[in-house]
Amino acid sequence: MSTASETRVRSKAVRGAAGKAERPGRDGRSGRERQPWLPWVFLAPTIVGMGIFTVLPIIASVALAFFRWDIISAPSFVGFDNFAEVVQDPTVRVSFLNTILFVVVAVALQLGLALGLAIMVQEKLPAWLRVFFRSAFFFPLILSAASVSIFMRYLFNEQFGVVNWLLSLVGIPAVPWLTTPGGSAAVVILVYVWQNFGFSFLLFIGGLASIPVETYEAASLDGATGWRKHLHVTLPLLSPTTLVASVMAIINALQVFDQPFVLTRGGPGDSTRTAVMVIFESAFQRLEFGQASAIGVILTLIIMAITAAQFRLSKRFVFYQ
Amino acid sequence: MQGSNGTLRDISRRTALGALGVGIVGATVASWPRLTGTDIPGRGDNSLSIAIMGTAADAAARQKVVDAFAKVHPDIKVKVQAIQAVDWKDFFTKILTMVAAGTPPDVVYVATEGAQLFAEKLAHPLDDYLRRDADHMREYFADVHPSLVEAFMYKGSLFQLPIDWNAANMYYNTTALKQAGLERPADDWTYLDFRNTLAAMRKARPSDFTPYYWTNRLFGGVVPWLYANDTSFLKETKSAGGRWLWDGFYANDPTRGMRSGGYQWLEPNANDPKVFESFDFLRGLVKDGLGVRPEEGGGNSLVGLFASNRIGTTPAGGYWVQGLSEAGMKQDDYDVQFFPKWRTQRHQFGTAGYAIMKTAKDKDAAWEWVKFSSSLEAMQIVFPTPNTTPARRSMVNERLYAGKGPRHWKVFYDTLDRFPSTGPIPAPPQQAAVETALMKNVSLAVSGDERQLKSALDSLQRDLEFALRRQP
Repeated sequence: MSTASETRVRSKAVRGAAGKAERPGRDGRSGRERQPWLPWVFLAPTIVGMGIFTVLPIIASVALAFFRWDIISAPSFVGFDNFAEVVQDPTVRVSFLNTILFVVVAVALQLGLALGLAIMVQEKLPAWLRVFFRSAFFFPLILSAASVSIFMRYLFNEQFGVVNWLLSLVGIPAVPWLTTPGGSAAVVILVYVWQNFGFSFLLFIGGLASIPVETYEAASLDGATGWRKHLHVTLPLLSPTTLVASVMAIINALQVFDQPFVLTRGGPGDSTRTAVMVIFESAFQRLEFGQASAIGVILTLIIMAITAAQFRLSKRFVFYQ
Repeated sequence: MQGSNGTLRDISRRTALGALGVGIVGATVASWPRLTGTDIPGRGDNSLSIAIMGTAADAAARQKVVDAFAKVHPDIKVKVQAIQAVDWKDFFTKILTMVAAGTPPDVVYVATEGAQLFAEKLAHPLDDYLRRDADHMREYFADVHPSLVEAFMYKGSLFQLPIDWNAANMYYNTTALKQAGLERPADDWTYLDFRNTLAAMRKARPSDFTPYYWTNRLFGGVVPWLYANDTSFLKETKSAGGRWLWDGFYANDPTRGMRSGGYQWLEPNANDPKVFESFDFLRGLVKDGLGVRPEEGGGNSLVGLFASNRIGTTPAGGYWVQGLSEAGMKQDDYDVQFFPKWRTQRHQFGTAGYAIMKTAKDKDAAWEWVKFSSSLEAMQIVFPTPNTTPARRSMVNERLYAGKGPRHWKVFYDTLDRFPSTGPIPAPPQQAAVETALMKNVSLAVSGDERQLKSALDSLQRDLEFALRRQP
């Protein structure tokens, strides 16, 4: 039972929440007018944090792209030389091409697998099993990518790995997974997709749950069954979720590093070398921090361009209910 | 919020802000040492900061030598900082990050891979200290082979004193050898003898066994074969100078005349026909199922695989003995022999020692640490077990290998005496880029046909030209 004082407190709180800032005080001025600095006080921790840890490093990184710097000696201004060298470097070119190919294959697999499994789990499984599979498919994402890759490296070892041992049981000869260009690319994609599809899966589960049952019922009345129902109802209504999932998947995939670095070190040759690996190698192995920044700037521009293109295309292909 | 009297308590914004402020101040005060970096060993208390590659356990293991040092130099406080790393390249990256952050250590334990990078940019030469303490240091140099010392010479100056080292000798599994009906190979066995040995091993054990396991690294990968074939993937020259050291400390050494002011690797050499020939030999081993296709940077599982009798031979140094013993291998389960002969029997080795940083707060104190670490007393404390080969010849003895093997442990130090041209890992100041260039092309070179080999070597040549384009 509420007491009188409790009621007073509540009404005061409600008034405050409802628009205290707009209500004039005793001096006739609103709260915002009396304390104009107050919003900035609340925003300050975020602004300062973002400024120090995000904005300044971005500015410094872009500026660094115009300098030659090896950490030890003083930096020297070189204009656009770093960009020119980067563009001419065949390793950088190959690594960007690898990254684009990786994004195309890995993201397609990641989204396809996530969507297929989400539909299966949401439609075919009882509620208690759905909870289990949501956790199970998400679990790899919380593991360290480096640890997973070390583990996978053992599994895919040509001579002593479990994968080849299993294949040998059905008469398939040992596959040089990590020592041939095709094999190593396949393993990197496989490990990456296995570890990352859980996030897209959860997004699709959420998206599927938000589709009204009535829509499916209406489609059934119109004669749609099985995959046609999914083609004409599920996919269009999931398109906003697909947009978000694909944007995030592409941005993540463009920055792939851990899996190829640990599994193959970018080899054999440059077959699994990615853009971020080249950034790492330029900076911390060749001590060309300016060039590393230049590659980083180019990669950022590519990510921004692709994301902008996705949102532009979304106007034609995404349907909001 | 529910109050103790069951009524809602009104927490004002001012109170909340105050609590937040107190919380922030409290957290800042509590984490002040971390925020200011004063909790980093050696910072803020003027102690000498020593960086080694390893874990906290490795740093703790060095405590005995720190204690022994403190007895001799009670005025110099020392803190050992262990830095975990996958390999030396990774370790140097982390040291460079510390330099960039403005928190460089005073002394760093540096292996051959980084010796010239440090000598060129980060380290302080030891020449003046050695001249000053020449009488004291004579005993050290008399016990250490000049080949090891020469590896730390750079442009006529000495930057490190070798503490431990390892050559790429050839380990073999005695059981696999017996199963193949073979005896211990001769000291001067050739690369063709080696191939025949592998073929016999393969015949005796057709499956679940690899006659030759090798890794794709700068040490123990393709380089020992290149050295044996009197070539390398980089053109090796030597700089002038250094007579002060050789005349001063190795006046009676028969190899004094061939010593120099240090190695130089200024140009690529991947298009040398002998390089092609060496790679082609390895390609043949892979093609015929006698050797593995090497993974890049592999080797983590090597001890386990060798100890479980699944590998016939592999190149390694004295650092393996303790690991094999811990993995259950008995003294007679394996043995070691010189690397096979080709045009020469030149071996590859790597060594390590302390480098004083240019930025060291107290270089005299740092030198005292370097000097003490090279003493017999300190090295006996640091190397109680054969997990590396001590640079002092007198320490490589029966007692070190007793009960652990290998039977022919003398091969380790004899490598330097028998083959005085034995050389260090080719590691110019651009080592990281050079190593990346080599590693990325080796797998392709030995995995396909002759055309692919040629293409991989062309690519290696180009990558090396790019890596070496800026000379210091």
